[in-house]
Amino acid sequence: MIYLQILANGLALGGLYACIAVGFSLVWGVLNVINLLHGSMIVLGSYIALFAYTTFGIHPFLTVPIAGGIVFALTYALQRGIINRVIAAPVLMTLTLTFGLDLIFNNAMLTAFKADYRKLILENPLGSWSFSGVTLPVDRIAAMALAMLLTLMLFRLLKDSRIGRAIVAVRMDRDAAALMGVDVMKINAITFGIGGFMAGAAGCLLSIIFPISPLNSTVYLGKSFVVCVLGGLGSVPGAIVGGLALGIIESFGAFFLGPEHAVTLAFSLLIVFLIVRPTGLLGKKGYE
Amino acid sequence: MSGVALTVAAVEAGYGDVQVLWGVDLDVGPGEIVCVIGSNGAGKTTLLRTISGVVRARAGRIAFGETDLTAATPADVLGAGIAHVPEGRRLFAAMSVEDNLKMGAFLRRDQAGIREDLERVYQYFPKLHERRRQDAGTLSGGEQQMCAVGRGIMSAPRLLMIDELSLGLAPQIVEQLSEILLRIRGDGLSILVVEQDVNAALELADRGFVVDRGRITLHGDTETLQTDPQVREAYLGMA
Repeated sequence: MIYLQILANGLALGGLYACIAVGFSLVWGVLNVINLLHGSMIVLGSYIALFAYTTFGIHPFLTVPIAGGIVFALTYALQRGIINRVIAAPVLMTLTLTFGLDLIFNNAMLTAFKADYRKLILENPLGSWSFSGVTLPVDRIAAMALAMLLTLMLFRLLKDSRIGRAIVAVRMDRDAAALMGVDVMKINAITFGIGGFMAGAAGCLLSIIFPISPLNSTVYLGKSFVVCVLGGLGSVPGAIVGGLALGIIESFGAFFLGPEHAVTLAFSLLIVFLIVRPTGLLGKKGYE
Repeated sequence: MSGVALTVAAVEAGYGDVQVLWGVDLDVGPGEIVCVIGSNGAGKTTLLRTISGVVRARAGRIAFGETDLTAATPADVLGAGIAHVPEGRRLFAAMSVEDNLKMGAFLRRDQAGIREDLERVYQYFPKLHERRRQDAGTLSGGEQQMCAVGRGIMSAPRLLMIDELSLGLAPQIVEQLSEILLRIRGDGLSILVVEQDVNAALELADRGFVVDRGRITLHGDTETLQTDPQVREAYLGMA
């Protein structure tokens, strides 16, 4: 029964990992930009949730669209104003740029919010469900469900909307997309903004589970990398599979090897995958 | 039927420090098929890319009817009625054939018109209808070219520009495509086709322009060009 409990914990964690990584993966796949700002944007989402709760008493789940919207606006503007200027440059250039921007943002957050770990403690937690020996904290399950819902909404957006088709077209061939009349620079900014939205939203959901500090940004960024490599780059199903896989592996790893080794295990897996199957579990050329 | 002519006057263009086009003049009349021939690296592709706004013209003027397109974006050019079928097809490989065709209509909002044109493309190319659910990347070379031409038609253009129609295709396929292009022209489109295969191009077109090192060195109707000693020697391998 303990294994079922570990599996359940892993799945709950994995749903959140998928949500953390899907925006990062989309930006990487479509723009060919490795967005090192992603972790800080997640942390920003967490702080927005924290302040909304402590100041106005708004439940973090209700803050999701607000935090997502704020981070969307911020990342859209960054892409439009700054990153688009070097978007055609080699990937090292955009990597360095987002690295620099991340230093600025992360240190700004350290100055504004301090490095202390803070905890968002819900006054009325939803308790837990217990059946056949497996205990599920309802708040966690709800956060995971919301994360999966957001991820699926992104999937539908890419599949069915006009803007989604344009994003997918740019991902496959930006020159050909331009010849179809797609405004590639605008799509770049929207995609980057969507990545930001998902980061901000994920940050909100994580705020009820993990302590909040700017120092967490590198942890989230690292997990995003691992999920992308596990699942395959630039596709929503890839992020879901990669996220769930990482969640399950980490929670079994924590059980058998001790929680202090969970991250080590994740990154060892990253290396193994890069050697054995660099396209990821669902990776194929193109998209979905 | 279309009643609009493309005019390219003294256009200069290039990439970074490298100038490719040196004062190119060219025109395509309503309902005409015009070919641009020349060897590899002569500037044919750059010419089409400049017309479609992917490359910015540094000097000269490009106009389609009354619409000035010299500084236009690719979306403006497409909106004005010029579609560009790029070299190497450049299909969206992991999208279905039908989704590729629909991407061609990206700027259009008239759903009824889009459906009509989709039917029209399937009439020109029944093979595409057969394979409409298949990923475009799985098509044969000839089918990919059909899909690329079809995608161009889906923007409801008045002028269709095709870069290297015959590249990598068997002669029978090129002939089939040429026949369909004649039908498309019959339905009111003008066509500007760029070709390395000079024979195929001169067969298809009404008029031709010869490009060499970024300049138009010769132009005229295709019968004249076919008998021109310079063309015969340089491009047709005949004395």
